[in-house]
Amino acid sequence: MNSSINWARRFAVRGVFWRQYLDWATVNIPFYLYPVLHFFMTLFFFFFAAPARRIVLAHLAIILPGSSRMMNYLRVFRTFHNYSWTISEAAIHKLNKEEFAYEIIGADWLDRLGAAQGAIVLTAHMGNYDLGAALFAEKFNREIRLVRAPEPDEQTAEHLSASLEKSGEGAVKVDYNTGGALLSFDLLNALRLGEIVSIQGDRIEAGLAEISAQLFGKEIRLPNGPFVLAQVSRAPIYPLFIARSGYRSYQIIVSEPITVLRTGRDRADDLAQAVEKWSGVLEQVIAERWDQWFAFAPGFLSE
Amino acid sequence: MSNTLRGPHFYFSLLRLLVMLRGGDARRAESNAVEGRLVGMMIFLIHYLFFATQFVSFLLAPWLIALQLVALAFCVWLFWMLLLYINSVIIKLLRTGGLFRTIPTRRAQSILCGMVTTAMACALLNTAGWVRELGAIWLVMVAMNLLSAVVLALNHAARGPGQ
Repeated sequence: MNSSINWARRFAVRGVFWRQYLDWATVNIPFYLYPVLHFFMTLFFFFFAAPARRIVLAHLAIILPGSSRMMNYLRVFRTFHNYSWTISEAAIHKLNKEEFAYEIIGADWLDRLGAAQGAIVLTAHMGNYDLGAALFAEKFNREIRLVRAPEPDEQTAEHLSASLEKSGEGAVKVDYNTGGALLSFDLLNALRLGEIVSIQGDRIEAGLAEISAQLFGKEIRLPNGPFVLAQVSRAPIYPLFIARSGYRSYQIIVSEPITVLRTGRDRADDLAQAVEKWSGVLEQVIAERWDQWFAFAPGFLSE
Repeated sequence: MSNTLRGPHFYFSLLRLLVMLRGGDARRAESNAVEGRLVGMMIFLIHYLFFATQFVSFLLAPWLIALQLVALAFCVWLFWMLLLYINSVIIKLLRTGGLFRTIPTRRAQSILCGMVTTAMACALLNTAGWVRELGAIWLVMVAMNLLSAVVLALNHAARGPGQ
């Protein structure tokens, strides 16, 4: 019974079957069939990924106040369509080694990040964050530790880790953000050794420390970890986003680094200041690129 | 990745030949969104019209015809899934026989998809009006593309990075 449930789970929306299918399609499908296939796959998931659809719809109602529900359904479709292109282009980069064009917004900050001795890259579930890590490792010839939210399906998690590590040609190491303290010490050690750690700062997972912030006028909970890590290690936080700007074309958006102070008076106050700066950057990027914010998990802005 | 946006590059030989005649870079690339969308839509349209002429009954009530036409779009998508899978099996068999070994799988798929679409376009010639003309346009484009491929091959311009 359990084995048949596990087998069926492969075909769930976040099951490994779709990731494997994507890899197969990337190798097998001529590029000119993509537009039509992406349209139909988007339509398929628009109907079958109902929880994700409802979450994006709720997010849009907050991001775009006063927008009509009908129009927001179309915007959800657009977000899913962007996601479809984004993950397929990441697979194309990994498997076909095709070239992509990119433009850097905040090139000076990116150069500083590339040369930094220990830094935290704080990003969001936006655009092609997986491709971004591979690009960073390739451009600066540096290793990067990528901390991801855990996947609900174990096989999908294994597949994603292997994909990211292959895409980064060994320079991208993937860790999963779980409740244990071991990872925190590991990351702190990595930062002290001068490594770069990339963390997604727009989703809170159960069991992780959290901190409150304001986003689009709503109180939300953000992960506390990156800020505490930055405070303890004295490493700067670089907000970085990889947005899709067209067919096989991306924008790398890097903002001014956030320093978490250690004034010695009130630790929570120092953290709150940094979190406020991060939520400001996040709000601006999401407002400009709501169709690329792939926050499909519950319990964030919509709660 | 590259941060330099290059001049126009195309996948199909006809467009690559035109680029070559204008003094551009005729190497094959899969980076042209407009080319991809146009060809993809045209292939879908030919497949859709082929199945519509074969299976859709136009003698029913208008709403039933509309329902059939909407359902057909999804059937064509499912047909593509099946076609791509069958093609992948054919390519594996051909490779064991020594064929298609030097080109990527997606290009071999492109050849097989092109053959299926051309067969459907031939069938559309037996219809009437703009559907027949669409079939004829496809056949002319295929002929011109094959001719261009020969010219490019003779000019040694057919090779691109990783091809």
